[in-house]
Amino acid sequence: MKTYNNLPIFSAYEFDSRFYDEIFTEDKQVREVYQTLFKLFSEYSVNDFVSLNNKAKDAFFNQGITFQVYGDKETKEKIFPFDLFPRIIGNSEWLKLEAGALQRSKALNLFLWDLYHDQKIIKQGIVPIELINSSASYLKQMKGFNPPGGIYNHVSGTDLIKHSDGEYYVLEDNIRCPSGVSYVVGNREALKRTLFGVFDHYKSHNVSDYGQNLLEIIESVKPKGVDSPKCVVLTPGVYNSAYYEHSFLAKQMGVELVEGRDLFIENDFVYMKTIKGLERVDVIYRRIDDDFIDPKVFNPDSVLGVPGIFNSYLKGKVCLVNAPGTGVADDKAIYTYMPQIIKYYLDEEPILNNVHTYHCSRPDELKYVLENVDKLVVKPVDESGGYGISIGNKLTKEEIEKVKATIKESPRKYIAQPIMSLSTHATYIEEENSFEPRHVDLRTFTLLGKDKDFVLKGGLTRVALKRGNLIVNSSQGGGSKDTWVLKK
Amino acid sequence: MLARVANNLFWMGRYLERSEHIARYLNVNYFSSLDAPSELAQSRDFVLRSMLFVADEEELKLNKPLNERDVLYDIGLNPDKFYSIYSSIGFAQQNANGARDLISTELYESINTLNRTVKNYSAERFVKNGLFEFTNLIKSNIASLRTKIRATLLHDEVYAIIMLGVYIERANQVIRIINSKYNDALIEHVNFQTPVKTSYEWTTLLKCVETYDMMRGYYRKAPSSYNVLEFLILNPHCPRSIMNSLNSINYYMSFLTKEERPHKDSAAFLVGKLMYEYRYKCIEDFQEDLKGFIENLVDDLSLVGEKMDSDYFSLY
Repeated sequence: MKTYNNLPIFSAYEFDSRFYDEIFTEDKQVREVYQTLFKLFSEYSVNDFVSLNNKAKDAFFNQGITFQVYGDKETKEKIFPFDLFPRIIGNSEWLKLEAGALQRSKALNLFLWDLYHDQKIIKQGIVPIELINSSASYLKQMKGFNPPGGIYNHVSGTDLIKHSDGEYYVLEDNIRCPSGVSYVVGNREALKRTLFGVFDHYKSHNVSDYGQNLLEIIESVKPKGVDSPKCVVLTPGVYNSAYYEHSFLAKQMGVELVEGRDLFIENDFVYMKTIKGLERVDVIYRRIDDDFIDPKVFNPDSVLGVPGIFNSYLKGKVCLVNAPGTGVADDKAIYTYMPQIIKYYLDEEPILNNVHTYHCSRPDELKYVLENVDKLVVKPVDESGGYGISIGNKLTKEEIEKVKATIKESPRKYIAQPIMSLSTHATYIEEENSFEPRHVDLRTFTLLGKDKDFVLKGGLTRVALKRGNLIVNSSQGGGSKDTWVLKK
Repeated sequence: MLARVANNLFWMGRYLERSEHIARYLNVNYFSSLDAPSELAQSRDFVLRSMLFVADEEELKLNKPLNERDVLYDIGLNPDKFYSIYSSIGFAQQNANGARDLISTELYESINTLNRTVKNYSAERFVKNGLFEFTNLIKSNIASLRTKIRATLLHDEVYAIIMLGVYIERANQVIRIINSKYNDALIEHVNFQTPVKTSYEWTTLLKCVETYDMMRGYYRKAPSSYNVLEFLILNPHCPRSIMNSLNSINYYMSFLTKEERPHKDSAAFLVGKLMYEYRYKCIEDFQEDLKGFIENLVDDLSLVGEKMDSDYFSLY
C-alpha cells in the first residue's frame, strides 16, 4: 500500500491557470456552489475513494450498463468510465443553457422545414446553396414532405463547453440519433448508490422524467387517423454498443424494443411480428442511421433496417423519429450559420455562443486556415464521434503538412475553429489514485413535439480522461460525470 | 409481445431452471455418495457418471476415463461446455438481455449480477473445495430470481412465457433425473444384486429434487420405486412432479390462447391432451416398462416445445 493513501484526495491536485476550472477559482479557492461538496469529498482518504470507486463500477456492471468489445478470441464487457465527483450547474446558469438549447432546436427544426420546402433562407442568400447541394445528408426524397406535427428533430443533443472566459459555447448540434441520455440517468443512479449522503446537501433536479416526456413527444407526432398510437424503439440489436440505451429508453417509455427483423410492411403499413400475429406500429423512435434504415432506398446492404419503411413514412402510415434527412442541418459547416439561422426564423438573438468558424470552402478563410493550422482545430464536416479531428498545437511539422494537404484536396469537407480551452473539472484518476483536473464538456437533451417541448434538467458531462486531452467522446476513451442542476 | 422477445423469455426461463437442477443434482449426488450404503454408490466413477448422465448424456457416451476435477469443472464452470452451469447462466443472461425492455429492472439486474458472480468464481476453488458453496449459491440465487419473476413482473403474457419455459424445463430435468437414478439402481442391481425396488437411489432421487421430507410425510413409508415414482410423476401437489408441471404448463398456456377449445394441431391442444392423459394414469401403467414410459414422456415434452415454437415464436 502506498504511504499517501490516507491523505485527503485533493492533496495532489495540480492547477492549470490556462483553463477555467469548474471547482476552483484562479486563486485556488473553492467556488461557492461546490463548497459543501468539496468539504464532504475532502473527508475521504484515497483508500475510501478507491473502495467507493469500485462500488460505483460494480453498480454499472450489475445494472448491465455496459457495452461489449469484440476481440479475436473473447468478448469483453466494459463500462463507460464514470467519475464520482459530480458536476454542479447553478440554477441561473442552467436557465440560460435551457433556453439556449431550446432556441437552437426550434430554429433547426424551422430551418429543416424550409430546406425541404421553399428554401427561403437560401433564396435570400443567408445560407449558401452549395452547403446544401454538397451535403450527403440532404435527402431529396424528403422535399415537399410534411412530417407529422411539422417536427424533424424531435430529439436534439447540444454539445457545449465552457471556455477560459467562463462562458459557454456550443461546439455542435446533434440531431440525427443523439445518444447518451441513458448515462445521465445511469450516472445519477450509480452516484446515489455510492455516495447517497451527498444528496442531502443539495437540491438538484431529478432526471428520471426523460422517458415519460419522450413518450409524450413521440405520441404527439402520430400519423393522421390514429387515436392511440403504438410506439416502439428500433435498435440495431444487442450487439450495438448503445443497446443498453435503447433498451433503457424502451423500458422507461413502456414501449417495445424492436429490431428491423421484427418489423414487416404490408400495404404500406408497418407491423411487428408478435406471438399473436401482426400488430400495427405507428411511431418508431429509430436508433438506426438514415443510411441503414431502408435497404430499398438507402444502403442496399443494410440488414438492420426494414425494406419499404421509408415509403410507408412518406405515405404518412408511420412516423419516424427523428425524421430522415436531419443530418443536413447538424453538419459542422451549417453550424457556423446558426446565429443567422436563429435570427432568421425566430427573430431572436442567439442565447448561446457559437465558436467562430472558418470555412475552408471560402478562399480567403481557406488561406487563413492553411497559414494557421497550428493554432486551429480542423474538423471534417461530416464526421461524428471525434473522428478525423486534428488539434493544431498537438501536431508535429510533418503532421501539419499532412493536414494542409488533406484540406487542399477537398476544402468543402473541412472547417476550422480556434482551439477552445475546455474547462476542467476534478476527476478521480485511477492510475494515480488521486483527483486531477480533466477537460469536460456538456451535452444537453432537448425534445420537440407537436405543441410540446422539453429540456432535460441535467445533461451528460463528458470528461477526457487522458491528461491534456480535449476529445471527450466515449469512442475516444472519454468518461462521464453525474450532472446536477440545482433547483435554486 | 414480439415473437423474438417471447423466444428470449422462454429460454431465459428454461436456462434458469436448468442451472438450478444441475446445481442441485451435483450437490446432492456428490454429498450423499460420501456415506452411501453400497461400495458402488460410494465410488467416484459411479457418481461422476451419474452427474454427466444428467448434464449431457452424449458426453458420457464418449466413454472417456473420468477424473473428478475435470468432470466437476466441465459441469460447473467450463465456458466451453454448453451444458455447464456457467453456460446456462450465461445463456439466461443473454436471453434476458434480448428481452430487457420487458422484464423488470430488478429481475434483469439480479440475473446480470448472478452471471457476473459465476463468471468471476474461481475454478480452482470450485473443484478443490467450493462444490457445496457454489451449488448453494446457484440454488439460492435462482430461488431469489423466481421470487423476482413472481413479485416484480405483471402476471400477464410475459410472465406466462417465462413460466412455460420454467415448467417445460422442470418436467424435462425431473424426468432426466428420474432416468438417471433409475439407471443407477439398475447398475447396482446388476453388480450387487440389490433389488431395484428398494435401492438407496430412490432416496437420493427424492433429495435431488428436494422432496424427500415431503414424500416421507405423505407416505410414511421408506422410499421405494413404487411410491417415489408415483410421487414424482403423478402427484399433482408435489411441486416438482411431472403432473404438477403439466398442470402448470396447461395453466400458463391459457394466458396465450383465448380459445376454449384450441385447434387440434396447436401446442395448447397437445398440452391439454397430455395433462388429462397423465391425470388418469396410475403407477401400475408404467411400473413394468419405466424405460419406455420415460422415453415417451421425453418425446411428448419435446413435441410441446416444437409446437410452441411454431405457434408463438415462428413469426420471428
